Amino acid sequence: MNNIQSGIPGFDQLTVSELAEGGIPEKSTTLIYGPPKTGKSIFCNQFTYSGLSNQEPCLYVSTDKGVKQVQRDMMDFQWLTQNYIQNQSIYFIDGISYLSGGKFENKNNLVSSSVSNPADLMVKVGIGTRNVYKTSNHFRSILDSLNTLFAFNPDQMVIRILKAYLRRITEAGGTGLIAYTEGITDPKTEKELKSLFNNTIRLDGQNIHIKSDYEDFNEVKTLESAYTISDKGIVVN
Amino acid sequence: MIPKIESGIPGFDELTSSNDGTGGIPENTATLIYGPSKTGKSIFINQFIYKGLTNDEPCLYITTDNGYKQFKTNMDEFNWPIEKYLDSNSLYLIDTISDVSEGIPSQSESFIQSCINNPTDIMVKFGSGVNYISKNNPLFRSVIDSATTLLAYNENMLIIRVLKAYLMRVNEAGGTPIIAYTQGSADSIIETMLKSMVDNIIRIDGENLYIEAMNGIGKRSSPYQITDNGIIL
Repeated sequence: MNNIQSGIPGFDQLTVSELAEGGIPEKSTTLIYGPPKTGKSIFCNQFTYSGLSNQEPCLYVSTDKGVKQVQRDMMDFQWLTQNYIQNQSIYFIDGISYLSGGKFENKNNLVSSSVSNPADLMVKVGIGTRNVYKTSNHFRSILDSLNTLFAFNPDQMVIRILKAYLRRITEAGGTGLIAYTEGITDPKTEKELKSLFNNTIRLDGQNIHIKSDYEDFNEVKTLESAYTISDKGIVVN
Repeated sequence: MIPKIESGIPGFDELTSSNDGTGGIPENTATLIYGPSKTGKSIFINQFIYKGLTNDEPCLYITTDNGYKQFKTNMDEFNWPIEKYLDSNSLYLIDTISDVSEGIPSQSESFIQSCINNPTDIMVKFGSGVNYISKNNPLFRSVIDSATTLLAYNENMLIIRVLKAYLMRVNEAGGTPIIAYTQGSADSIIETMLKSMVDNIIRIDGENLYIEAMNGIGKRSSPYQITDNGIIL
């Protein structure tokens, strides 16, 4: 089993085991969830940036914020993305800027879609997956977040889109990290949601809870530690 | 460094100052102010927009709780006169609640009427408002006071979508939006959605003001009072 560097200081040390170096299990799927404003997007962006700095491309589906906002949020932490967009290491699907009234210039690797049009979103995920797969057979795949998808579509539709998305990226060798704000769907949907992932990471503002399901070893592993959000991003203590 | 704009609330900019010494509301980010009813959310917002107006930052104001007359009375109570800003079109007011019979000023370039139970109409008028106000101003403040009434009159998930579109448009145009919401007035799913959509969360409970989240600074709090001059920390 292989883990890839998370990019979060302290995280890889926390997740190290006898079987493998620490990090996020490669080619697995992880749900990162928790109450609002606990650092889920920061975690996603930090993970993305770490990959980019290691020549791992990224498929980034953004439904909460437009590409400009995401870039600006990353810049607050000195994670500069412009070059990676230019050299096409990121394939960015912007599912929300269509609401902003601004002009959107589609490029090869910067495409507009609509959070209220899951069919279009999935077509673009398909194109995006092939695009990053061509450059590398391991890549990182971010979906930030499910919240807006749930606001614009029926719950069961979102679950179906998510299943299709997860299948698509894992088949292509991607490592998926998907963000979700706890409490924005009913408990039944939330439970179903969590069951779709190999790993879950919960951020509650003070502690990070990691739960990994190693099917091959028939083992569920849980870890917990305190974390803080600094001007360098999330730091696990 | 995250650029900030002056809040106009004495003590607030000091409370929110970051390592580089700047305080206030982070420019071009979205803020939710919430808490129980009658704790000063509208006062906070009015103080915030009045500060903007006196700094030549125009304001796009969607009022859903108080019609024009009540809004003006509320501002006058704290000696924040708004007529001249309406006349100069630096205050763009979308009044969704006044009855036509209430003797309000006739519609002008910057005083527009809409209807609380017609979110589509509100969004169309708001869209024109954003274009109007951002045409000559890279910076502006934008207010919805409050989301509570919008939620009460309409299907809740529709309002979440409307608010998302609202925030995206203001952000694109360079504005700094703030939304007021009365804690507990919608179910917890909607309340959590609201919180997840914004960058900064301020809660006030009548005694203390809590910064529950803010870009670049994290959690802070301070006691506050409501005086003749508005909120003071």
